[in-house]
Amino acid sequence: MLCARLAPLLLFFAGPLFAQAPATCAAVVDNFFADEVWAKVGSQKCLTCHKKGGDGADSKFGLVDPKKVDAAAKDDALRQNAAAMAAIAVSKENGKSRMLQKVVGELDHGGKDVLRADSPEYRILAEFVRRSEGGGKALQPTPDPKAPPFFQGVAMLDDQRLLRRATLSLAGRLPTDAERAAVTKNGIKAIPAVLDGVMTEDAFFERLREAFNDIFLTIGLTDNADTAVLAYDHFEKTRLWYQKHDLSHIKDEKARQQAGYKLANDYRKALLGEPMKLIEFIVRNNRPFTEIVTADYILVSAYSARGYGVFDELKDKFKNPDDPFEYVPVKLKALRSRDKNSKEANQDSLTGNYPHAGLLSTFQYLGRYPTTETNRNRLRARMYYQHFLGVDVLELAARVSDAAATTAKYKVPTMEAAECVVCHRTLDPVAGLFQDYWRFDANFSIYGKRKGGWFTDMFGAGFEGEDLPKGDRWRALQWLGERTAKDPRFATTMVEHVYYVLTGRKVLLPPKGLDDPLYAARARAYSEQRKQVEAIASKFASSGFNLKVVFKEWVQTDFYRADGPTTAIKDACRKAELEDIGLTRMLSPEQLERKIEAVFGERWNKLQGDLAMLYGGIDSKEVTERASDPSGAMGAIQRIMSNDVACKVVATDFRKPPAERRLFPDVEPDMRPGVSANDNKKLRAAMAHLHQRILGRNDDAESAEVKRTFKLFASVVNDAAEAKTVDKQESYFCRPGNKDAPGSRVEDPHYTIRAWRAVVTYLLRRSEFLYE
Amino acid sequence: MRRDFLKLCGLAGLGLALPLRHPDTRAADKKDEPYTGPYYVVFNASGGWDTTYLMDPKGVHDINRLYKHGDILTHGNHAFAPNKKDAQGGMCNEDFYKEFGDELFTFNGLDYSVNNHSPGARYMATGKLDSLAYPTFAALVAACRGPDCPLAYLTFGNYSATGGVVAMARVPYVQSLKKIALADNVEGNPKAAYHDPFALNRIEEALKEQHAVVAATPQLPRAERGENMLYAAQANSKALQRVVPFIPDKLPKERLNQQVEIALATFKAGVGVSANLDIGQFDSHANNDKDQMKLIPEFLAGIAHLMRRAGELKIREQLVVVVQSEMGRTPNYNQGNGKDHWSIGSILFLGRGIKGNRVVGATDDKQFAVPLDPVTLKADKAKGTKIRPEHVHEALRELAGIAEHPHAKKFPLGVPEKEKLVKFWG
Repeated sequence: MLCARLAPLLLFFAGPLFAQAPATCAAVVDNFFADEVWAKVGSQKCLTCHKKGGDGADSKFGLVDPKKVDAAAKDDALRQNAAAMAAIAVSKENGKSRMLQKVVGELDHGGKDVLRADSPEYRILAEFVRRSEGGGKALQPTPDPKAPPFFQGVAMLDDQRLLRRATLSLAGRLPTDAERAAVTKNGIKAIPAVLDGVMTEDAFFERLREAFNDIFLTIGLTDNADTAVLAYDHFEKTRLWYQKHDLSHIKDEKARQQAGYKLANDYRKALLGEPMKLIEFIVRNNRPFTEIVTADYILVSAYSARGYGVFDELKDKFKNPDDPFEYVPVKLKALRSRDKNSKEANQDSLTGNYPHAGLLSTFQYLGRYPTTETNRNRLRARMYYQHFLGVDVLELAARVSDAAATTAKYKVPTMEAAECVVCHRTLDPVAGLFQDYWRFDANFSIYGKRKGGWFTDMFGAGFEGEDLPKGDRWRALQWLGERTAKDPRFATTMVEHVYYVLTGRKVLLPPKGLDDPLYAARARAYSEQRKQVEAIASKFASSGFNLKVVFKEWVQTDFYRADGPTTAIKDACRKAELEDIGLTRMLSPEQLERKIEAVFGERWNKLQGDLAMLYGGIDSKEVTERASDPSGAMGAIQRIMSNDVACKVVATDFRKPPAERRLFPDVEPDMRPGVSANDNKKLRAAMAHLHQRILGRNDDAESAEVKRTFKLFASVVNDAAEAKTVDKQESYFCRPGNKDAPGSRVEDPHYTIRAWRAVVTYLLRRSEFLYE
Repeated sequence: MRRDFLKLCGLAGLGLALPLRHPDTRAADKKDEPYTGPYYVVFNASGGWDTTYLMDPKGVHDINRLYKHGDILTHGNHAFAPNKKDAQGGMCNEDFYKEFGDELFTFNGLDYSVNNHSPGARYMATGKLDSLAYPTFAALVAACRGPDCPLAYLTFGNYSATGGVVAMARVPYVQSLKKIALADNVEGNPKAAYHDPFALNRIEEALKEQHAVVAATPQLPRAERGENMLYAAQANSKALQRVVPFIPDKLPKERLNQQVEIALATFKAGVGVSANLDIGQFDSHANNDKDQMKLIPEFLAGIAHLMRRAGELKIREQLVVVVQSEMGRTPNYNQGNGKDHWSIGSILFLGRGIKGNRVVGATDDKQFAVPLDPVTLKADKAKGTKIRPEHVHEALRELAGIAEHPHAKKFPLGVPEKEKLVKFWG
C-alpha cells in the first residue's frame, strides 16, 4: 500500500514525464473486504477448512469458495462470505472478538493457531473487526472507480504482427497472402475466422499434442510402452504381437531385422501417443473438451489396436491399416485376467465395457502417475487436482506447527490431526476413486483390486464431500469425470492450460507477503489476469466447451497482444503490475525447428536428442519443465544455429530463379553496396524483406533498423575488399547440394554472398527470431 | 579504403555515432574473465534420507535394526552410525568420516515442517515453503556471484527454480559441451570457421549496436529481461571454449560422479558458479535398511569424488558444499520394513569458510528436534528456536556474502533478527 500512498506525491514531483506515464498502483479505496480480508486472509486461511467437505464444515462458520461457483454467482459468494465473517467478527467471548481469539488458537479452534498475533494478516482481521463493529460499512466489494485501465500506456501488437505470431505459434507457418489480406481489410476482427482455418491444419494438431503433453507428460512413461501400457495379466496374448509379425517378404536378413525394430518402435510410439491423440480427436471434431475426463472411448492406431487385441474388429475403420499413426476411437471390453477366477484382476462392469473416463482411465495416464503401497493413489489424486481443477495441493501444503509431534501423536494423522486433515479430506477421497487400479508389481499391471478391500484408515472414496455410491465403484473414474466436467474449476483450468500453451508460462498465483511494498501492484496484476481467465472460461462453457474458442479468445486479448509501453516505465509499482505482461517467450527446440522451416522452407533438424535437451527441452520423464531463459550453452546453440542455417540457405536461395527465392527475390548476388544509389536502394529493400520474413518486422527500407543491417553488409564487403587473402568463392561448407559435385562451387568475387550470410546470421541471432 | 567505407556509409544514410551502452552490455563484455570461485555445490538425496544411518545415529527404541546404541562411532566431535559391514558399494560412513570428518560441519534437528516430497524439496532448496517464486540457493548465489558465466547455475534435477534471476543450465552429457564449445566453427572444427574473422566481428558489432538501441527503447519488464538475457547468453557463450580442456575423455560410471565431473569442468574453466547435484530413490517406504545402505554409500562416494577431483584440479579450497535431503525417515519401521516420511532431519556442510569437526543442534532419543539457542548454538528446550530451512538459508546467504545483494533482497526469508544463527559457520 506504500506505493498507493506515494503515487500522488511522485506524480507531483516527477513533472511531465510521469504525467504522461500510466498511473501507478491502483489504489484500492473502498474494497476492504474483497481485497484485504478475503484475498489475504479468508481465502488463504479460513476457506481451507470452513467449506463444504472441509475439516471445519461441521462448524457454524461456513464459507463458499468463489472459485467453485459460476462467474455470475461469484459476487454473491463473496457477499455471503463477508456476512459470515462479519458475524463471527462481532461475536464476543470474554469481551473479545471470537474471530480474533480463534485465529490464534484460542477458544478450541479446530485449526489451532493459523495466525500469529503480530502478523499482517491478524492486523487485517483486527481492522475488519473494528469496521464491522462500526456498522459493517464498506463490506461490499466495489471496484475502485479511480483505477486507470490496466493496459493504459501499453501499446498492442499491430494486427499483421499478431497474425504472424498466431500462425507461427499454432501452425508453425507464416500467414498466407489471403490471411494477410483478410487482416488488412478487417483488422483484428478477421483473426477468429483465420484461426478457425488454422485450427484445422495438421500442424496445429501436432502443436496441440506437443503442448498438452508438456502438461500431462503422458509420453514420459518409463520402460517399453508395450509392457508398461498393456499389462501381462490382461494382454498377455496380444501385447507382443510385433514379435510374431510376418516380415518374411523382406528377403535380406539385415533389412528384415531393421524392419522388425522399426515395427516395434512405431508400435511403442503409437501406444504412447494415444492420450494426446484423444485430445486431438476431441478438438479436431469440435467435441466438448470435457471429454478429456468423460470420453467413453480411447483412440487406438492399427498397431496399438493389435496390442489390445481389437485390430480385427477395427481394421475396416482404418484408411490405411499399415499406418502406425492413424487413430480411430474404440471402446474396450472390460479387462479379463489370465486367471479367470481372479476376483481382483477381472474387471467388474455392468455394461461389459471398460469404464473409460477420458484421459483419467487410460493406461498411459495411470502408468505415468503410478501408485505404491504407501502412496495409496495420492499421487494420482494430486495430479488429478492439478491437471483438471488447477489446484496444486502441495503448493497449498500448510506449515505444520510440529509435524513430527503430530505424526507421533495420532494413530492416523491424516484422519485425525487437523493440520493433516485439511488436505487429506480433499485428496484421499479422490485417491479412493482410483482404488481398483491397484497394481504396481511385476509386469506393469495397472488394473487390479486390493485384496481385503480399500484402506479404512483413509477418508472413503468420493469427491468434494460427496461419497461414491457403492453401485458406482466399478465406474468410479467415470463418476469422477462427470463431476469434474461440471465443476467450474474445470473450465478455468483448461483456459489456464491454453494460456500455458500460448505463453509457455503458468498463470499468476495470488501474491503472498503482505508486507511486500509491491503487494498491491502484484495483487492487481493477478486480479486482472484472473478476470480475463474467468471471462474466457465463461465463453468456453457457453460454447459447449469447444477448446478452439479458448485459443481464439486468448489470442485477441491484451495479454497476448501487449507489445511495449508507450513511455518508459520508471515507477516500481507500475513495473510490478506489468511484470508478467507481454509474450517474450523463448522458443522451445521444437518450435524453433518449425519456425526455421516456416521461414526458410526446411528444418535445421539438429535440435534433437542431446542438443534439444541442452536447449532447454524436456524428456517428459525426469526433465519435465522447459527452460525459459537462455543459458550460455543455449546461447552457443543459437550461434551454431544461426551460422549453420545461414550457411545452408543463402547460396542455395541465390541459385534459384528470382521468382522462386524466399529470401532474395529482388536482388542479385553480385550487387555491391556503394556502387550506385539505385543499387543501394535495392539492397535496402532486400534487407527490409529479410526483416519482414525472418523477424516479422515491417521496417521501412529507409529505417534505422535497415540502415544498421546495411551497415553490416557494407562493412563486411568493404573489409573483404581490404583483406588480401580472401577467397573468391563461398565457403566449401556452404555450397548448395552435393558440395563435391561438378559445378557446386559458388563464385563470390566481391564477397557479397558471404556478406548476405553475415546478415542472415545476424538476424537469426536476434530476439525477434529466437523469441515468440 | 577507409574513406570509401565512410562514403558507403554516407550513401546508405548512416552516421558514425558512438554506440549506446547498456549496463547489461557492459556485463557481457566481461565474458573473458574466468570466474575463480568460490564454487557452490548442493548435493540432494532425493526422496528423504535416513539420518539415523549417517550423522544422527540413535540405536535405541528400535529406531535402527542394523546397529545398537553402543555401536555408534565417533570421529572428533562427530558421532555417526557404523555401516561398514552393511554398505552396498560406494563409501561407508567409517571411511567418509575418516577422510572428511575434520572439515565436516553437521547440523542435526532441522525442522522441515512438512512431510511431503514436493514442498519439502522446494523448502530445502529455497528456504521458503509457501512460494513457487523463490530461487534455489544455488541459483541465487550464481546470479549474485557470476551473472556473466555461461553455465553459472548447473542443475541435474530436484527442485531447480531460478526466480528469474539466472538461467538454468542442464548438461545431461558432458560430451555435448564439446559439440557447442566452438559455436562459430563448422561441427566445432577449429580449422573450419563459418565466417572470416572480420565478418564475425562485424556481426558481433551489429548485434551489440542493436542491443544498445533496444535497451534505450521503452520495453515491458519481461521483454527487457528477455533481451538482456539473450544478449548475455550469446556473448558469454564464447567462454565455453574454456571448458573443452577440462572435459574428461572418460567419464566415471557412477551417476553422481558423472554430475561431479561436469560441474568441476565448468568450475575449473571459470564458466560455472554453482551446481545442484541429485540422486533419487531414497524414499524407502519398503525395505528401508537395504535401500539406505545402498544409497547413502553411493551418495558419500559422490561427495568424496567431488572433493578429491577438486583437489586434483586445485580448486578444492574454493568449494562450498551443502549436503541435504527434503525430509528424514520415521523413528519406526512400518509393516513393509520401510520407514515413512519424517519432518526432522539433518544437513551437512563442508568447504570454504566452514569450520569443520563440529556438530550443532540435536534430536532427542525419539528423533524429535531439540530447539536451539540461535546465539549460543546450544540446545535450549524451553526457550530455543526450532531451526527451519529459512534459518539455514539465511546463514548460507551470509556465508556466501550475498545477503545484502539486491537479488537476495528481492526474496526475503523473513527470519526475525533474534532468530538468526550467530557464528553458525564457526
